[in-house]
Amino acid sequence: MELPTRKAMKLSVIRHWFVSAVAVVALAGPMAGCSRNEATFNRNEAYVKNQERLTKETFSAERKADLDEVLSGLFGTPDRPIVPALGDIDVASVMDATKLHFAAGPVGRDERGRARGLYREHCAHCHGVTGDGGGPTALFLNPYPRDYRRGTFKFKSTPRQSKPTHEDLKRILIEGIPDTAMPSFRALPDNEIDALIHYVRYLSIRGESERSLVQYALFELEPADEEANIEEERLFDLTSGNRSDRAAELREYVGAIVQKWLGAEAEATAVAPPSWLANGAELSHEREVELLKHGRDLFYGKVAACVKCHGDSAIGDGQTTDYDDWAKELEPTVPGALDEYLALGRFVFPPRNVRPRNLRMGHYRGGRKPVDIYWRIFNGIDGTPMPALSEVLKQEGEEKIGVTHDDIWALVYYVRSLPYESISQPVAVEAAYQRERQ
Amino acid sequence: MSDKLSKNELSPWPHRFAVSLVCATFPLIWVGGLVTTYDAGMAVPDWPSTYGYNLFLYPWQTWLFGPWDLFIEHGHRLLGALVGLITIGFVWSVWRHDSRRWMRGASLAVLGLVLLQGGLGGARVLMDQRQLAMIHGCVGPAFFGFGVALAVMTSNLWRAGITKPQTTPEMAGKLKRLSLTTLILIYVQLVLGAQVRHIPVTASPGTFRILVFFHLLMAIIVTVHIAQVYRSILRIYGSAPALRLPGYALGGLICIQISLGVQTWVVKYGWPAFLTESDFAAGHTINASSLSQSLTVTAHVAVGSLILAFAVMLYTRAARLFRTETTALGSGALMIGLAT
Ligand code: HEC
Ligand code: HEC
Repeated sequence: MELPTRKAMKLSVIRHWFVSAVAVVALAGPMAGCSRNEATFNRNEAYVKNQERLTKETFSAERKADLDEVLSGLFGTPDRPIVPALGDIDVASVMDATKLHFAAGPVGRDERGRARGLYREHCAHCHGVTGDGGGPTALFLNPYPRDYRRGTFKFKSTPRQSKPTHEDLKRILIEGIPDTAMPSFRALPDNEIDALIHYVRYLSIRGESERSLVQYALFELEPADEEANIEEERLFDLTSGNRSDRAAELREYVGAIVQKWLGAEAEATAVAPPSWLANGAELSHEREVELLKHGRDLFYGKVAACVKCHGDSAIGDGQTTDYDDWAKELEPTVPGALDEYLALGRFVFPPRNVRPRNLRMGHYRGGRKPVDIYWRIFNGIDGTPMPALSEVLKQEGEEKIGVTHDDIWALVYYVRSLPYESISQPVAVEAAYQRERQ
Repeated sequence: MSDKLSKNELSPWPHRFAVSLVCATFPLIWVGGLVTTYDAGMAVPDWPSTYGYNLFLYPWQTWLFGPWDLFIEHGHRLLGALVGLITIGFVWSVWRHDSRRWMRGASLAVLGLVLLQGGLGGARVLMDQRQLAMIHGCVGPAFFGFGVALAVMTSNLWRAGITKPQTTPEMAGKLKRLSLTTLILIYVQLVLGAQVRHIPVTASPGTFRILVFFHLLMAIIVTVHIAQVYRSILRIYGSAPALRLPGYALGGLICIQISLGVQTWVVKYGWPAFLTESDFAAGHTINASSLSQSLTVTAHVAVGSLILAFAVMLYTRAARLFRTETTALGSGALMIGLAT
């Protein structure tokens, strides 16, 4: 019999140990998960840290407990969401209790056979139970899943700083976001999409309220003063006499956020067609080439300065080291700061640079219709460096630096022609683009 | 125990039952996979009844034409019940026709396993515990593999024996060991896969990342092992048809499985970011709950079980063909192998 060599023996021992180790990990893993049953909302530690660094104060453990208490009083838990009572504000049209019940909780059906847990079924493995973008799959995805708690959304018809309309959110859920992990949910029935939209708003409002309360505690409440032997003023104090005053004050903060959502519907940017298409006019080929030239001049010009970020040949290689607003909160450019944030634990992710879009691909995350591109250029992309040209809007013939409504349309035309423009021979409207428009 | 089995013992019934058991379990694994894919595990909140009805008396119109999640969950229960009944038939036929004591024991063990599996499924519903769903998902393939082993052990090949392939004892021992290691690795890989799939939404991204890493690492290790098995069967045991079939099946299925794995990732999470500059990735939108998504993901689960089944087939057949005379029927070693 052939004796095994020493090397082969060693290898087989290593293999044996490896197999055993993996088997143990694989079989013990599920047991470890068994204990955690009830889903809970995560606290926004990164924002607390951010505000602590800003104010140079500390947010004590008691305050954190208070914060959790107040939030669960106002909003309930992931299994039992509550719609905060806000007097005469029409909360229900932003977050409706029945719809929240439909979307919240564990996946399944209730005793009456009605579906439940839509959010955990379809969204939470990316966006996290809290809506903090910290679902289990998050680290693999680029861009990271959206953290709703800032209340910032990218692809919408409303100006920067405004909330998206119901229609905007619906469009995202139905179309998905190409080139990102955000799926299209067109397979879901309308009432489920509707419930999910209400739940996204609920999580977003809850998250934004949390941020408001953190600020409130740091800016409005008395800090502890050891020398004067003054105890810290509590956010939520069962013993103090003015509890109902405090509660009313906190509700005002939440109310202000809900009002912003209520206002969104009226804020959508109405888009009139360009002057050359008014009254059903046709666009001649010569005029179109002219417009594309104009669009190109704007793209490379001083005012719109798209070239600064999107690059000399519009492939998205201009400004590539910037961050979006979510990442900026972790102060990635301040030496040493980032480590403090990352030390906060499992739900704070290393920031990544936001890349301007490669406009020669012809794929748009926020929709490819001309009006979608118009909204992106006019309103910018909220939460990202992509600026809004509405800031420099001027009227036709007005003598100041800026762009007109028609200029923006020329940019839209130009952007949409970029995939067909040859880099060496700019602004020749090529056959493909012609065909596509027909 | 002697190899010469009496006429009575050569009844085809145990084998027939075992084969039907395997044939009914494979679709059961598919439907079970769909239950998880569509997150339909809680579509029926009670158990063993369905909305208060006896399992078999639930109005079929509501089942067939009601909501999709209810359709697959109730269908999964019905198929599971069928497999349970076949198992009972198997036990009956073994006790009646097969005098091998260990075989009788094995038949009771498989009955125990099917009861455990049904109970786990029920507990998953009653306690609404996703972790139990995961364990339920791991016992499924184990049961499937056990069924395959029983089918081999009740077959003619096992009982009448087939001429041994010409090899040295070392070679035979090597193949036996290699196929057993492969079998264990495949099972561990299935468990890892189940954990990736059943990751609780409350788990941290770091945990998920570790699981995915191990699942990929294990995919490589399993592939290397199957390649070794394949090579040795191709080279040495080409003359042994009993080993050729499972060996080739493993080789083919592992290729399919790897491509299904890649596809599963892409249909769920999209192309990796470094491909953003390519046209197909930039234009790709994930389509949640689309048919292609759920079929791909479920196929990845089912093919995993199928690979395990062929590995069991290979190992049991090899163990039988290269039985060392000293270890009576090799059944002890076999049982240990299967229990792992
Ligand atoms: C596979 C992971 C994944 C799943 C599942 C998922 N999303 Fe997303 N979602 C993302 C990613 C990634 C983004 C960020 C895209 C970006 O920044 O361009 C996103 C962004 C969003 C946005 C923000 C859009 C905007 O304009 O800023 C909303 C709203 C949203 N998702 C809602 C949902 C809802 C509701 C569900 C469940 C029905 C869901 N998502 C499921 C990954 C996912
Ligand atoms: C300060 C940098 C910056 C400038 C200036 C800039 N962009 Fe962008 N642009 C971005 C970034 C970053 C993104 C990607 C945002 C995201 O999706 O996260 C983007 C995305 C886009 C998109 C893709 C929208 C979609 O739906 O996918 C278009 C179109 C676009 N920019 C056009 C323009 C035009 C036209 C201009 C000039 C008016 C311009 N950009 C100026 C940074 C910039």
